[in-house]
Amino acid sequence: MSYAETLEQALLTVKQQAMQMQRCLQQRKLMDALKHTSIMLTELRNPELSPKQYYELYIMIFDSLSVLSTYLAENHPKHHHLADLYELVQYAGNVVPRLYLMITVGTSYLKCPDSPRDEILKDMIEMCRGVQNPIRGLFLRYYLSQRTKQLLPEDATEFNANFIITNFIEMNKLWVRLQHQGPLREREQRTKERKELQILIGSQLVRLSQIVDDNLSMYKDQILPVVLEQAIQCRDIVSQEYLLDAICQVFPDEFHLATLDILLDATTHLNPDVSINKIVLTLIDRLNGYKDRQEQEQGQEQEENTTSKEVKAADINLFQIFWNYLSTLNEERPDLSLQQFIPLIESVLNLSLRWYPENLQNLNALYKITTQKCQDFGSDIPPNCEYLFQNLLTLQNSESSTLRPSSNFFYKLISQCESFGGLLALQSLPLQKSALNSILDVLLHNEVDFDDENEASSNEGFLIDSKENLCSLLSIFEPLTKLGPPMPSLDRKGSKNVKGTGDHFPADEDDNDDEGSWILDPIQEKLAKLNHVVFQSVVKSSDPIKDIEFEMEVLLTLRNWCYKGGKNIKYTYPAIITNFWKVIRRCHLLATRCDSENTKRHTELIKQNFKYVSRSTNDLFNMCGNSFSDALYKLNIQSASLADQLSLGEIAYDFFSQAFTLFEESLSDSRTQFQALVYMAQSLQKTRSLREENYYDSLIVRCTLHGSKLLKKQDQCRAVYLCSHLWWTTEIALIGEEEGVTTDFYREGKRVLECLQRSLRVADSTMDNIQSSELMIEILNRCLYYFIHGDEHDTHVSVRYINGLIELIKTNLKSLKMEETTTAKTQLAEQRLSELHIDDAQNTAKVSNRFVIGSDGSYIDVPTVNGGRALVSTKLNSMYINEMIQIPIQHFNRTCDYILNQRDVDDRFKVIVI
Amino acid sequence: MSLFHKSPVDIEILLDGEESRKHVEIPNAAGSGSKTLNDRLAVYEDGETISGMVTLRVKEGKRVEHLGIKVAVIGSIDMIKTSGGNGSGNSSKRLSNTSSSVSDARKTPVEQFICLSYDLCPPGELQHAQNFPFMFKDLAKRYESYRGKNVDVSYYVKVTVARKSIDISKTKKFWVYLYKNVSLPPAPIVNNEESHPNAETTEENGADGASSSKALTGGLRKEPKPVKLDIGIENCLHIEFEFSKSQYSLKEVIVGRIYFLLSRLKIKHMELSLITRESSGLQPSNCLVDSTAIRYEIMDGSPVKGETIPIRLFLGGYDLSPDVSCNYFNVKNYLSLVIVDEDGRRYFKQSEIVLFRTR
Repeated sequence: MSYAETLEQALLTVKQQAMQMQRCLQQRKLMDALKHTSIMLTELRNPELSPKQYYELYIMIFDSLSVLSTYLAENHPKHHHLADLYELVQYAGNVVPRLYLMITVGTSYLKCPDSPRDEILKDMIEMCRGVQNPIRGLFLRYYLSQRTKQLLPEDATEFNANFIITNFIEMNKLWVRLQHQGPLREREQRTKERKELQILIGSQLVRLSQIVDDNLSMYKDQILPVVLEQAIQCRDIVSQEYLLDAICQVFPDEFHLATLDILLDATTHLNPDVSINKIVLTLIDRLNGYKDRQEQEQGQEQEENTTSKEVKAADINLFQIFWNYLSTLNEERPDLSLQQFIPLIESVLNLSLRWYPENLQNLNALYKITTQKCQDFGSDIPPNCEYLFQNLLTLQNSESSTLRPSSNFFYKLISQCESFGGLLALQSLPLQKSALNSILDVLLHNEVDFDDENEASSNEGFLIDSKENLCSLLSIFEPLTKLGPPMPSLDRKGSKNVKGTGDHFPADEDDNDDEGSWILDPIQEKLAKLNHVVFQSVVKSSDPIKDIEFEMEVLLTLRNWCYKGGKNIKYTYPAIITNFWKVIRRCHLLATRCDSENTKRHTELIKQNFKYVSRSTNDLFNMCGNSFSDALYKLNIQSASLADQLSLGEIAYDFFSQAFTLFEESLSDSRTQFQALVYMAQSLQKTRSLREENYYDSLIVRCTLHGSKLLKKQDQCRAVYLCSHLWWTTEIALIGEEEGVTTDFYREGKRVLECLQRSLRVADSTMDNIQSSELMIEILNRCLYYFIHGDEHDTHVSVRYINGLIELIKTNLKSLKMEETTTAKTQLAEQRLSELHIDDAQNTAKVSNRFVIGSDGSYIDVPTVNGGRALVSTKLNSMYINEMIQIPIQHFNRTCDYILNQRDVDDRFKVIVI
Repeated sequence: MSLFHKSPVDIEILLDGEESRKHVEIPNAAGSGSKTLNDRLAVYEDGETISGMVTLRVKEGKRVEHLGIKVAVIGSIDMIKTSGGNGSGNSSKRLSNTSSSVSDARKTPVEQFICLSYDLCPPGELQHAQNFPFMFKDLAKRYESYRGKNVDVSYYVKVTVARKSIDISKTKKFWVYLYKNVSLPPAPIVNNEESHPNAETTEENGADGASSSKALTGGLRKEPKPVKLDIGIENCLHIEFEFSKSQYSLKEVIVGRIYFLLSRLKIKHMELSLITRESSGLQPSNCLVDSTAIRYEIMDGSPVKGETIPIRLFLGGYDLSPDVSCNYFNVKNYLSLVIVDEDGRRYFKQSEIVLFRTR
């Protein structure tokens, strides 16, 4: 008998023969039915089919054979004797159909109560050896297993286990053999086919697990050793990987707990190419899952005492077992590459985290062994390993949320596991950087969603309890402090080396990229954040009253740590300075509340802290120099303001004077200078403690002086009229001042007028007519302010003066308009021509509203279309002169409108002539 | 013959209790066109009395003169003439005037080892139907009936009505089984050295073919010693072919195993076949005809070193010929192991086994 050539034909034949067989069975023609069955089974001899096709065929035939089997069992004693049939079917000439028939008849016979079960089973499994072809053999034995599934004697577990194991062993052999069949070049194909078939082998293990039920001793003594032995002996990678994986998956967790050492021992004997880590990973996942489930159960039935299983699990020190395993593995398999070894360690790490979350010694040991391994391996770690280390160091791989380490955990880890730092230090710089970056994220992350309810417990953040711990924490992050900002040059390979070797970076490669070095550096940013977080945690953990010294100490430690970062302190120091400010404020608070003795102490502390701040700014200046002077200037002024608010005039003066020094020495850019002066004036105007010793006077004079010496006339003008406010202090409601009630405001109207006059002079001498008019209008506005807020003899800003100013402005505007008329025609024509094709209609409609003058005198081109970009330019574009001219005119119109409106409220305004 | 020339006498031979006897179906003579027909023949055994009834019928109203009626039982060995063998040619002339054997037209008798006859009726006249009982008491039958390619052993009863002109005769074939009663109790016969060979030789005169295998079994009395064959092709294949014994009754099962010590062949499948070898004629011009009686696949695919393939072959279901040996021909059975590799090459090993018939 021969088989069909294609799968389709084969399926057709099977279908037909199955139909005929069923018809014969209905007519009780058993012999004919068997004949058809035999023809049908011949299709299973086809060697051309791929495993998938064969499976398809097998499924179909299996169904038909089920029908036959049922018939055979039902008619057993009446119409035929199955013992006879069992012999009869053995006359089939071909071995594959014969065995299928034998199994079908044999298993039908098993269903009958009086059958010699053991003999039949033994005979069937023995005769199955006749099929040595891997695919056909596998399916045949799978068939045997499927058919006998329900029929194994219930009382003889041992016999059943042996039966299944025997079948399993043979199947595995066949499976392994499949790899070595056919031409060499089809090896890949073979491996693929084998993977398709692996479920057949796995089914045997599943059967075993069903049989063994909860009989641990049997599993331990009889099943596991045999199965492992088989896996080890076949020396086949695919098989070993699959089998061990299947063992891990199929049998109950309790079994694994009890046989962990056996299982692990087996993995050391596997083919060296087998990736042990996958197996161990599966196992550990399993155990972790077990722990999860146990905890869930416990949660559900807390009152009911947990059974002995729990005790058992607790008895075994899982980590110890895995630890021993790792040690032996490390000794016996020095060939294991880092790629294989590290995932192993990571798995064990996860296990330890899950089962013994409190035990940091375990982790320490693990890191230690990794460090050792790395050192053995030599200095250069292959780059493809790096992600492994990254995972290891950041513990990012644990998928369940319960395992994800909290910031507190990291803190403990870092402060208590000395090996962690060692391992980290061994890594390449970029890796250290990214690992630390991730850890930083975790540390900082918790602070962010602090009020996430679910994680509230684990999310408390870490509390720093001792200086030593803080030091170790900081030393871990030391590499980060030294990292430069991600400059474009970082991509170049050359610069990488420079960074790796030297502690000091070459001072920003070129001095003129001061602005370039201000690129936002996320890492330094995070470090700064870390400073805050650390400080917060210290504050939280310490007694707020007594431990101010400790807090200061911490801050100093942080400062010293940041100092190591060289130029990077410009990112981190501000955070530290801010924290000093906080300490100062709290000291002040305590000082006001406590008794005199403590007040004294706290005042001392405040002074001390200011010294630290001063020292920090000095450091900043020395390190960063010009590139940072602007920010430094502001820091000084803020410190000064703070000191002033605490009524520490001396200190405030000191900081102000430092700010001036900075201004004079380092701020060279004219625009920055203008801004700086505005800021200074603003701060000075609010100071209250500088009156003694004429500090205030000298400071404001100096400020105004600097204002009048600015480079550009417009800047001079504006700075001076702004400085006029320095002689006209206004109320600060917060400290209880009130206009009209408080009498000791620092006001000198004469000086105010002088300032205004001076600025008017400057405005008048400005060459640009538009700017000049605009400045005058601004001065007019200032005058109106003083006019409203003070009496004429106080402020010395008189109606006469204002009227004169208005007159002047009017004249100026007139001449401006003249300028417009002279040029308008040609300009307009030109402009029309040039923009005709762009946006003609809009341009004519909104022509007057396009330009504005900014507070620093620059022209801002406000886009006519919504969402467009505003263009800022300091130079006048003569093309748009007409629109420019509109600016001061309209400003003046608005001011006039204001004056007219004020007339309703204030009679004095009626005197002003428009 | 009777179609063309109507015989004046109708002879019918009925064997006693024919209907209730065991029958065998033997394919009708291979040479003569009607292949599908089977002869149903009654089975007798050695020493059994053959008795029956001959009925002679004459056409209504006719009378037939005859010179006497004889009944004969004949056992003959028939052969296809081979290459003008001198012996056979002689004997055929000498034996009878019928030129062909009873069973196969192509075969001619070479020896009649039984030829017993007696007169049923003296010469006279037959007028109407007449019955004559006949009996050959305790007839010894030396050979078992056999139908082979080249040789037949056939038994028949022949009734001849002798006439002046052409004799009218009619034959009735029957089949003979020789049962070997020795292997019924093989085990109980312990230490009795005489009984075993004795039993064997009763049936077969110096079974030459079996002598070698007998030598194997001779040493052990209690149980037949398994036959172990070491087969191999150097550096390529090495197997142990083992089966339970060298002598089997036709109802028995051949049980054995094949153990692969070395296998570098890419084996496609392996089968076990039973070959019946019939050798006929005398030594210089003897003719060997092999026919495969059983073909039985025992293994599919290629095993590796250390595999054991079980063998279990039920003989009972097949139509096999037991070993026969006589002057003119002998029949031997060989167990043949055939290994076919993926390129279609066949490797085989034959081993003689003795088959015998038991009750």
